[in-house]
Amino acid sequence: MTGGESERPAAGGRWGSEGAADATGAFQWDSDSAAAAALAALPGIGPTSLRSLLVAAGSPLSAWEQVREGRLRRPEPRGGARGVPWAVATAGVDLSERAAALRSGGMAVTWIGRPEYPCRLAGDDEAPAVLFWRGSLDGLDGRCVAVVGTRRCTPDGRAVAAELGRELADAGVCVVSGLALGIDGAAHRGAVGSGRRGATVGVAAGGVDVPYPRSHASLWGDVVVVGAVLSESPPGVAAQAWRFPVRNRVIAGLADLVVVVESHAGGGSLITVDAALARGIEVRVVPGPVHSPASAGTNRLLMEGAGPVRCAADVLDALGDLRPSPPLSYRRSAASRRGLAAPLPQRPVPLSQPAFPSQPAFPSRPAFPSQPAAPSTKAGTCGALDPTTAAVLDAVGWQPVTLNTVLLRSGLGLAAVAAALDELAAHGLVADERGWWQRCG
Amino acid sequence: MFATVSSAILLGVDGCAVSVEVHVGGGLPSFTIVGLPDLTCREARDRVRAAVTNSGFTWPGHRITVNLAPTAVRKAGSGLDLPIAIAVLAADGKLDARLAAGVAFFGELGLDGSLRRVAGILPLVAAATGPAVVVPVSCAAEARLPRRHRVLPAASLRNVVDALRGEAEWVQVPDVPLVPPRSATEDLRDVRGQAVARMAVEVAAAGGHHLLLVGPPGAGKTMLARRLPDLLPPLTPEQALEVTKVHSAAGVELPPGALVLRPPFRVPHHSASMVALIGGGSGAIRPGELSCALHGVLFLDELGEFPSDVLDALRQPLEDGRVVVARARASLALPARCLLVAAMNPCPCGGDGAPGGCRCSERARERYASKVSGPLLDRFDLRVGVDRPEITELLPGADARAESTDVVARRVAAARERARQRGVPTNADLPGNRLDEAAPVDEAAARLLELRLRQGRLSARGLHRVRRVARTVADLRGWDGAVQEEDILTALALRIEPFAHQEQAG
Repeated sequence: MTGGESERPAAGGRWGSEGAADATGAFQWDSDSAAAAALAALPGIGPTSLRSLLVAAGSPLSAWEQVREGRLRRPEPRGGARGVPWAVATAGVDLSERAAALRSGGMAVTWIGRPEYPCRLAGDDEAPAVLFWRGSLDGLDGRCVAVVGTRRCTPDGRAVAAELGRELADAGVCVVSGLALGIDGAAHRGAVGSGRRGATVGVAAGGVDVPYPRSHASLWGDVVVVGAVLSESPPGVAAQAWRFPVRNRVIAGLADLVVVVESHAGGGSLITVDAALARGIEVRVVPGPVHSPASAGTNRLLMEGAGPVRCAADVLDALGDLRPSPPLSYRRSAASRRGLAAPLPQRPVPLSQPAFPSQPAFPSRPAFPSQPAAPSTKAGTCGALDPTTAAVLDAVGWQPVTLNTVLLRSGLGLAAVAAALDELAAHGLVADERGWWQRCG
Repeated sequence: MFATVSSAILLGVDGCAVSVEVHVGGGLPSFTIVGLPDLTCREARDRVRAAVTNSGFTWPGHRITVNLAPTAVRKAGSGLDLPIAIAVLAADGKLDARLAAGVAFFGELGLDGSLRRVAGILPLVAAATGPAVVVPVSCAAEARLPRRHRVLPAASLRNVVDALRGEAEWVQVPDVPLVPPRSATEDLRDVRGQAVARMAVEVAAAGGHHLLLVGPPGAGKTMLARRLPDLLPPLTPEQALEVTKVHSAAGVELPPGALVLRPPFRVPHHSASMVALIGGGSGAIRPGELSCALHGVLFLDELGEFPSDVLDALRQPLEDGRVVVARARASLALPARCLLVAAMNPCPCGGDGAPGGCRCSERARERYASKVSGPLLDRFDLRVGVDRPEITELLPGADARAESTDVVARRVAAARERARQRGVPTNADLPGNRLDEAAPVDEAAARLLELRLRQGRLSARGLHRVRRVARTVADLRGWDGAVQEEDILTALALRIEPFAHQEQAG
């Protein structure tokens, strides 16, 4: 039970300075931050009422005291049933205990006006009053690019997102995204792969200690190591559906530029786009095949005037960074794109070969380098594909297709196609998901 | 007065000899059956009494006690009507008991004395020890299958008594020629534009590997599965007798000539209960669809719609090759060796399931996928996607090269012969500790397997399964040597993860 004045620490008085040994670094929990965390967890409190509470009281601790004493009350709900009064909800809450729990979970908190609070959000009309995070927010001091998109993405979309994440992180940009399945997760993974400190920040809808989706628990851990997981929801809160669109404004607000990799018509990432446009933040789009449902939303944005990006270099360009930085990354992605755009098989595809040659049904594989090819750069392999592999690559195409379609299009036997796909996948030229194959790179 | 007559009852798929003892003695007129009869069996009292009266005999006006020995076994069904009636007549002195000696009687009685067929005549007759059996006319062909007894077909109770006395003839039932074991209407040639699925069906038939077909409605999953039994070799005489026995006991309609020669194809609906699928039951233990598919194909269409407890109950029997039904009094085993073929949609919306292409939410997809448990999914050595065929493939003249069932069945038979020479019926039966000897892999193939294991794309259990399938693939192309890289690649290509998230791919 927190007492009155007697327990308020003197300026600079801090609780448990030893508790900051984890990724959250040097964050020090004091009575103000504990009060901020406790206020954010009040029942029925939203970003707006929390902000006005803090503004009215001046500091979180003073707001907490006034709430406890009943001087600041829960707003009357409009016609709805009354909830638990705040004075009741705060009774029995021990701020130091709560701070200790959050500290041991490696969590930190900040609010508008604090030095840790991201400056991009500080001027926002809908800025979150309080932000929780795990990890380090250092990445937000530099350039930030949001890479967002659909959860139901294609293998190529996933590959593009991962490539953008990796190369942007390598170029010193912090990759901001939403930690969701699909594009978001791939962008984070790509950025994590760079290993650079401050490479990525994930904005969660629920509490920063409640990984959602659960399959991404390990990704959350990785993001915390190289960057931060950030949320305005208090710790322990589940990711309810309404929190996702609200969260998207934070993603947009943190970014200098929003890149949408793949989005269905009416997809959730379009909410992020709206939020970005409302804030005057530029939106760029990765073009997709016109028949791909997963690119319907992004292609519409293109039609409506959003600029296209193909690779990290284009994004850096859009950021006003005309230096190809770092040059190596720029060259590599440009080269790989050139390699894939060129017609690969110079020799005609052997269309005359029947799908099922005469017996036996399992034709022996044509002459084919059987040693598992050593991983090499994409640009290096493109020219060196043998005709069978090139024909299979052509048959796969840029839209997801099943193995059966590859067989019928290429006219080759299963063993030959399986071998070619295996080699192509080893070079990262095709990817498969649930039995569907697609070119990527 | 006392008489005893032999018969048999069904326990699962086997017969158990029963002697029906009747005592007609003094006391108030009554008719009691003892010896653990169940409800249908106790109803025999009324049927037998009416049938005897309506066949022109007078019902003995004494105290009649029927005992069914051995008394510890529960008796179910109406098959004991005829032996009870004959025993009553013999005990009452209407029929010379010596005429019924060495003859076993089977059949249900109508109130008019007519003799009706009962399920399980084949196992019942097989359990009869005497030299002759009396059966209903419609069961005559089935009763001849064990070839150990003189089969005496009869149309009614009066017919039985008169024929025993030598006053009438037994009904003459001519032998029915056995049907050719192949369906005339379903040929693999008709399956258009399904190169991968056709090969999966061929490998499944050759190696006995369970097969999962994943594809949108209308892609031809059922069509493919229906053509599978004809790819399997016709049943051997022993297998045919075994399958006929199960079908007879389960009350499945038998083909003309009574002997099942074509590998069975069973399609239980997804509303089937656990008992209907696995076997069991509250009274007499009855074989389920799993046992009925013995040496054939059990096809579970819409796998995701089956209750998950029913599906999980399939796992153990599929491994063991038999279902053990345990009861308080006894437990008995039912056969369960079959090829499991299942079909399901890739996602609940009925679309083709292309990544990024369907409207289902991630949660809806997960819920759908979770209906098939991981361990059950693991039982399917072969998992392939089935596309809706492209329109050009459906037009006349397209895909004219497609092989017919005959051609593929010949390759399947040759591959199975190779497995037999290794001492197993099919490659799917190769035990894990014999894989290195029976299905060695060459150097390149070993490297590929190691790579997949290290990438985490193959589990230890999956490794064994892939090696067995690869052995079958090699057998099908006529290769007896070590399994090569291309065989492993083919086996891996026929084993997709239909519901996995590939979040690691990024």
